[in-house]
Amino acid sequence: MLRKIAFTVVLCVLGALLLTGVAVAEDKVIKIGALFPLTGPSAVSGQNCLNSVLAAAELINGAYEGFDVPLAATEGLLGGYKVEIIKADHQGKPDVAKSEAERLYNQEGVFAVIGSYNSAATKPASAVAERAKKLFLCGASSSAALTEREYKYFFRHAPTDAIEATEFTDYITYLNEKKGAGIKTLGLIYENTEFGKHAADEGKKAAAKIGLEVVADVPFNNGATNLSSEVQTLKAANPDAVFGAALGGDYSLWVRTMKQVNWLPKIAINFCTGYQNPAVQKELAGDGDYFMGGMSFSPELAKEFMPEALKVQEKFYFPLANQEFDSDSLQEAVMLLVLGQAIEKAGELDTEKVREILATETFVSPLSLSGEVAFEPGGQNIKALSVITQIKDLKYNTIYPEKFKNAEPVYPMAPWDNR
Amino acid sequence: MPPPFFREVERIMNHFLQVLFDGLLNGLVYALVAAGLSMIWGVMDVINFAHGEFLMVGMYVSYWIGFFLDVDPLFSWIASGAFLFIMGAATYRLIIRNSLGKSAMAPLLATFGLSMVLKNFCMNRFTPNFRLLSGTVLEGKTISVGGAILSVPQLATAAFALVLLACLYWMLKRTRLGWAIQATAMDSEAAELMGIRTENIYLLVFGIGGACVGITGGLMTSYLAVYPEVGSLFSLIAFVVVALGGFGSIPGALLAAIIIGLVESFTGFYVAAVVKYAAVFAVYLAVILIRPKGLFGW
Repeated sequence: MLRKIAFTVVLCVLGALLLTGVAVAEDKVIKIGALFPLTGPSAVSGQNCLNSVLAAAELINGAYEGFDVPLAATEGLLGGYKVEIIKADHQGKPDVAKSEAERLYNQEGVFAVIGSYNSAATKPASAVAERAKKLFLCGASSSAALTEREYKYFFRHAPTDAIEATEFTDYITYLNEKKGAGIKTLGLIYENTEFGKHAADEGKKAAAKIGLEVVADVPFNNGATNLSSEVQTLKAANPDAVFGAALGGDYSLWVRTMKQVNWLPKIAINFCTGYQNPAVQKELAGDGDYFMGGMSFSPELAKEFMPEALKVQEKFYFPLANQEFDSDSLQEAVMLLVLGQAIEKAGELDTEKVREILATETFVSPLSLSGEVAFEPGGQNIKALSVITQIKDLKYNTIYPEKFKNAEPVYPMAPWDNR
Repeated sequence: MPPPFFREVERIMNHFLQVLFDGLLNGLVYALVAAGLSMIWGVMDVINFAHGEFLMVGMYVSYWIGFFLDVDPLFSWIASGAFLFIMGAATYRLIIRNSLGKSAMAPLLATFGLSMVLKNFCMNRFTPNFRLLSGTVLEGKTISVGGAILSVPQLATAAFALVLLACLYWMLKRTRLGWAIQATAMDSEAAELMGIRTENIYLLVFGIGGACVGITGGLMTSYLAVYPEVGSLFSLIAFVVVALGGFGSIPGALLAAIIIGLVESFTGFYVAAVVKYAAVFAVYLAVILIRPKGLFGW
């Protein structure tokens, strides 16, 4: 009998110790939600973004020599806290994004959420954060509307569509003035979503400023079975330039359909889209050549201006994703590193303190093209930079602005039958 | 050089022709996707919610055969058709047969579950990446008809669709097997009393349904990227085609698919690209209200 009691007591003590141990281990963890489209039409990009956040978490959690990146040399945050990434999938659906954000904050107890790639999903998910007074950090969503809401707990790294659209029209002005390009008309093709519509609106506004006439305005449903009518509409209007906002599979379908009807504008410039995704370009092979797009990272650009990004890519990202960073995914990693720096500066896990630091301080960011990150009221990164690249033989050559240029643009685009 | 008026007329006619051919070609592809669904629905009164995922699996089979063995989709459709025949038959044997007779919703929910399993399996094994076969025999080839440019891979798929639908129709109308299928569809108990092994007919119908969509998927890899979500919208359109054409009717599926293809194409170009699918589903609603059994329903 006594032996039984002793055994039970020992078991209870061991159990209690074990539970205490778990509790202690849990205490030394900072949970961060990673909310991305892991399934659905944008899943390729969502998986890349998630892998990027996981890579940044690995960099923070270990102590690594030879990286000139904040938080790399020390193990964890606040003297030993490990970052734990809690994955969530919003499938590209705003309603799912909202409920997943609620789950992450309320049930998982995350300190902050990073996401959500699709602007349409970021909008409701960040509204949940704002109501709960929790932090929401956004890497790649580019809809300008996101930072026009005057939210206090929302911070975004990417340049907005407004910034990119102005850059596109600056480039067209440059081509017209310096190269006599004669670009007078514009067509827009974009997915009929929060992202696509805002990108197109900003494109139209920027075009109006330089007197570019919009002759085709073509929204389409993402995940379409074909884009025949859409491309046919563009072809009928025959604009000199096209601004595109099509993600993943839609981007490759758009390019292939243009080839099928044997039509190209003089130039085609893309917002953050399938253009930026190396996997999509690889599948398109030569058909993707000569298209242009706004980017804040490319391996070619990084060699000269962001060497640390290449090191992080090789050590942490490539083993997870089996491909190179793209503009979108890298920015999600940057946001985790910025959050990590803010937590370190705050010295404790106090949301208000960390928010204050995010809102007021400038952060060193060797993984950003500008090398720095700072947020204005509303949460937009005022240091956001992007360049215009043109793809050729799976290489993103920087063609504008002059400061970053490493190749001459091929203009107009080489016709389909002459490649 | 013709005067500007004639040039404008020619331009308008060229666009019209292009839109017309786009609609026809897309419609024929929809017909082939819908044919299998129509047979299963018509004969067994079972809605196969995994039909879009069957298409996706057919595309993956053809893609991987092309990728690893360098076999062109012009030939690999045989393998994808055979694979999906077996998969269709297995679906009946392992899932549908066990869910029949339990509740009206049971087979529907079972196939919905199957669609989730297939989609997530492919997502997990092949990643969500878009995969496109390069260097296929027909890649990039086009022909000019009037002022319209037709994609040869799409044309080949449409031609296959016509031949296959003709074979299916012939089989249903002219062979003992086809009569047995029709008899089973009309009254399975009576058919059984007449010596028809309805179990085998159901198995075969699911197999044929799978093979149709497998062949379509196999051919489509010559011009369309494959990814885990690729079948979603195709299957929705296939449901519309089946409802419009009439459950179980092959000529109905063909005619309905061409109507859907043309509605999509003309609305997309002459009204607005963004409403083309809305127009397709509006047609579906109209059919449900006016003629619920479809144009040629059994």
